[in-house]
Amino acid sequence: MSALTAFANEPVLELRRPAVRADLAGALEALDAELPLRVPVWIGDERREGEDIVSVDPSHAERVVAGAAAATPAEVDRALDVAQAGFREWAATPAEGRADVLLKAAEILRAGRLRAAALALRECAKPWPEADGDVAEAIDFLEFYARGAVELAGGAPLLQVPGERNELRYAPRGIVTVISPWNFPLAIPLGMTAAGLATGNAVILKPAEQAPGCSLVLAEALSEAGVPPGAFQLLPGLGEVGAGLVEDPRVHTIAFTGSNQVGLEIVRSAAEVRDGQKHLKRVVAEMGGKNCVIVDSDADLDEVVPALVQSAFAYAGQKCSAAARVLVHEAAHDALLERLGGAVSVLEVGPADRMSIDVPAVIEAEALQRHARFAELAGREGRIVASASDVPGDGFYAPPTLVADLPEGSDVLASEIFAPLLAVERVSSIDHACDRIDDSPFALTGGLFCRNPQTVEHVVRRSPVGNLYVNRHITAAMVGRQPFGGNKLSGTGTKAGGPGYLQQFVEPRVVTENTMRHGLVV
Amino acid sequence: MIDEARLEQELTTIGRQLADDLPETRNPLKAADDKAMELASADAELKAALFRFVDVVPACRNLDDLARHLTALLSEVDEPPPPIAVAMRMGDSRAGRTALGAAAARGVRHMAHRFIVGESPREAMKTLQGLWKDDVASTVDLLGEATVTQSEAQHYADRCAEALDELVERSAQWPARPGLEADSSGPLPRANLSVKVSALTPLLRPDAPEKGQRDAAERLRPLLRRARDRGAHLHIDMESMDSRDAVTELILDLLAEDEFREGPSAGFVLQAYLRDSPATADLALEWATHGAGAARTQPLTVRLVKGAYWDHEVAEAAQHGWSAPVFEVKADCDLNFEALTRRLIDGRGHVRPAIASHNLRSLAHAIAYNRLTGGEDSDLELQVLRGLGDPIQEALAAQRLRVRSYCPVGDLVAGMSYLVRRLLENTSNESFLLAQSQGTSIDELLARPEPSAAEAAGR
Repeated sequence: MSALTAFANEPVLELRRPAVRADLAGALEALDAELPLRVPVWIGDERREGEDIVSVDPSHAERVVAGAAAATPAEVDRALDVAQAGFREWAATPAEGRADVLLKAAEILRAGRLRAAALALRECAKPWPEADGDVAEAIDFLEFYARGAVELAGGAPLLQVPGERNELRYAPRGIVTVISPWNFPLAIPLGMTAAGLATGNAVILKPAEQAPGCSLVLAEALSEAGVPPGAFQLLPGLGEVGAGLVEDPRVHTIAFTGSNQVGLEIVRSAAEVRDGQKHLKRVVAEMGGKNCVIVDSDADLDEVVPALVQSAFAYAGQKCSAAARVLVHEAAHDALLERLGGAVSVLEVGPADRMSIDVPAVIEAEALQRHARFAELAGREGRIVASASDVPGDGFYAPPTLVADLPEGSDVLASEIFAPLLAVERVSSIDHACDRIDDSPFALTGGLFCRNPQTVEHVVRRSPVGNLYVNRHITAAMVGRQPFGGNKLSGTGTKAGGPGYLQQFVEPRVVTENTMRHGLVV
Repeated sequence: MIDEARLEQELTTIGRQLADDLPETRNPLKAADDKAMELASADAELKAALFRFVDVVPACRNLDDLARHLTALLSEVDEPPPPIAVAMRMGDSRAGRTALGAAAARGVRHMAHRFIVGESPREAMKTLQGLWKDDVASTVDLLGEATVTQSEAQHYADRCAEALDELVERSAQWPARPGLEADSSGPLPRANLSVKVSALTPLLRPDAPEKGQRDAAERLRPLLRRARDRGAHLHIDMESMDSRDAVTELILDLLAEDEFREGPSAGFVLQAYLRDSPATADLALEWATHGAGAARTQPLTVRLVKGAYWDHEVAEAAQHGWSAPVFEVKADCDLNFEALTRRLIDGRGHVRPAIASHNLRSLAHAIAYNRLTGGEDSDLELQVLRGLGDPIQEALAAQRLRVRSYCPVGDLVAGMSYLVRRLLENTSNESFLLAQSQGTSIDELLARPEPSAAEAAGR
């Protein structure tokens, strides 16, 4: 294979150029003509279609985006058998060869990027900039892990002394189960899958039931690029498919991104060594968050307001990294609340295909109800400062809502709502804010607006979060630039798109050879 | 076709005359109170610390807070020059901090006053009248915080309306200055206000410009009517690339509306650092000559600038993986500036060129080209920035050339982002003013820019 160039992020579309925007409508129209997609249970060379799971457009709930078969327990069993065979073949392929295949998959996705983005737009109500970012990140993961795995295959240097040769190599662990969420329906499943594949594991993907269509695009790209049928398999289904995969003794690694509840259940289940199991399972989990932004008295509110609006309400607050709480110094509290309230009240809520919207629909009716429940609670325990007034009626639209004056201990401040609701809290000092954040079990992302470098350093030292953003929005982590993942109950501390992530998918093996022959070092 | 050799000759003569008329002692970087900036120009770390300090001053709660910020920022400078070490020691005690905070606040306020002519239009009138008496016209820019809400947009529009009234009323008392009050196309208003579209709406988004345009139009139309009815000039400023297309389209569409056929005098801005600025020039010239704007009785004023958001454009493009929309080599930008100057001057009658620069070569080029192509000096407006271009403005006025000073009005909080941009420009390594202050020879300053290899190869 040719030498790899240095990794660079896939450029996102320059949507500020009218000519770039002009292509989007055509791509969406072309996709719409293909809908609904039919997503199979895809085991080895066999594809079984079905209509067990149906995904709809959250912006227009009557539009069906994809119909998918749900894997049966027998299919889960068979997929694991096929994966065991597929693993032996794929693991024997040199890292460079595997990287070539993944880079080809990246090329395929690049060529079809508008279609993929259009699909994420329809199936998950991702507005164009978000949907395009999702595709670009998916490509980034392929490119980043392909390079990382080649580097990893070179092993790691060890101390050497005369008469012995020490070598550290990394070997793939076996079968990786990927259980992915709907909020980054392309980047997250493909990221976890690419990490497993690049390092020589066989991967079984159980995509979110809300986004089977997007997973088909990924599966097709991998297949077309040359991933052998046994090395990657697609098992759409509901929770029991994931549970079945997690508990099976043939699985070695579980890569999961999703809710805290499911994540903790996976950790528990994976810890048990079942009949016939001859290894310990490893869990890579990215779970919930309740992300906080601290605003100091010296913050530039001109910067703070747009950054908070973007962090809390872009994609309707449904990013793992989204801002949920703002802890603002009392000296800046009233001014910030007034300006933020004004900024929230002009947000446009509407269908994801309309370029001018700020906030799209939430993923499903249950999310809408959850938002309403917490908004009601916030109104009762505190105060609704602002919310967007003009909300369409035919999709799952939750009005972006700004709340304040909640009592400490309010469930609005504790629970992950995963919907467009932002709570503002008044604090007397930066340490007061840090104390409150320490009380939370979560530590995914955080933000700080402050222009005193000593205060910034103080907060950096105290903050437990996996990703802290200073004087900017707290979303949109980039592969290679902001390796992403949380601490405490937000995750296993692994960093997607960063150094060290691939270590989770391999096992280190050290070989020491005696090079002495008859007293001679040879 | 212009005789290039003759143009260079003429340009050199004009440039030398202007240089002779530059008030020696008033070069902004040689003034005693500018030691800090000179220091900053030489040391990147110190420059960052001082800029960050200036930026945070308005948000500091009291003198103690101010001093804490200053010492915290300066402590990041690895090898502080002696005056900085003194400041750091003062930061150790409360009394020291109060004194240090007071001194620092004075310093920043002093610096701000050089660039900002007053906290309100009323306060600025004395300076504007002084300029007028010295044969210098002005345009007022109302500084403001970013607009993020509808009430902030309305407040800005209200301030603009009041400023228009104030400027018209007060400037009526000024003495006659025939050289500033008419060109070949007709009379030129004394009252001149520059407004920012991004301040007139919270809804301007780069990927969906229409909504912001509609909202801004609701506030811009009444301002245009007011300017028309009172006989003032309304100029639409340009900001970053994110809003360039939206602002250009908005102003050209509005001015083409029937009710603005007879006025007001109005204009927009062309940024020569943008690689695609020639296309924007085409658009405006076509609009003014044959298009929707051809029926207007007042030619569109086009202010040609280099552009003030260079760092922003380069960083934003790099962060997104886009090619930078701006020229990355100064000489290429300077050459584009000259090419656009010629196109605007060639469009005389349909547009009014206003060449805004502190670069002696760029100014002399515009003056020479205008003369060689048969224009009157009065047909060419030259613009400078208050606080940066004052010496050049004096030299231009001394040559009886028509010059206008861009005068920001507002308080320190509102003016901070403006101030930081100006300081950045002032201390930039490629700053013309800096080169001049460091004694670069007049021949070098007037030499024709050499295109970069990439640009010469046609890129």
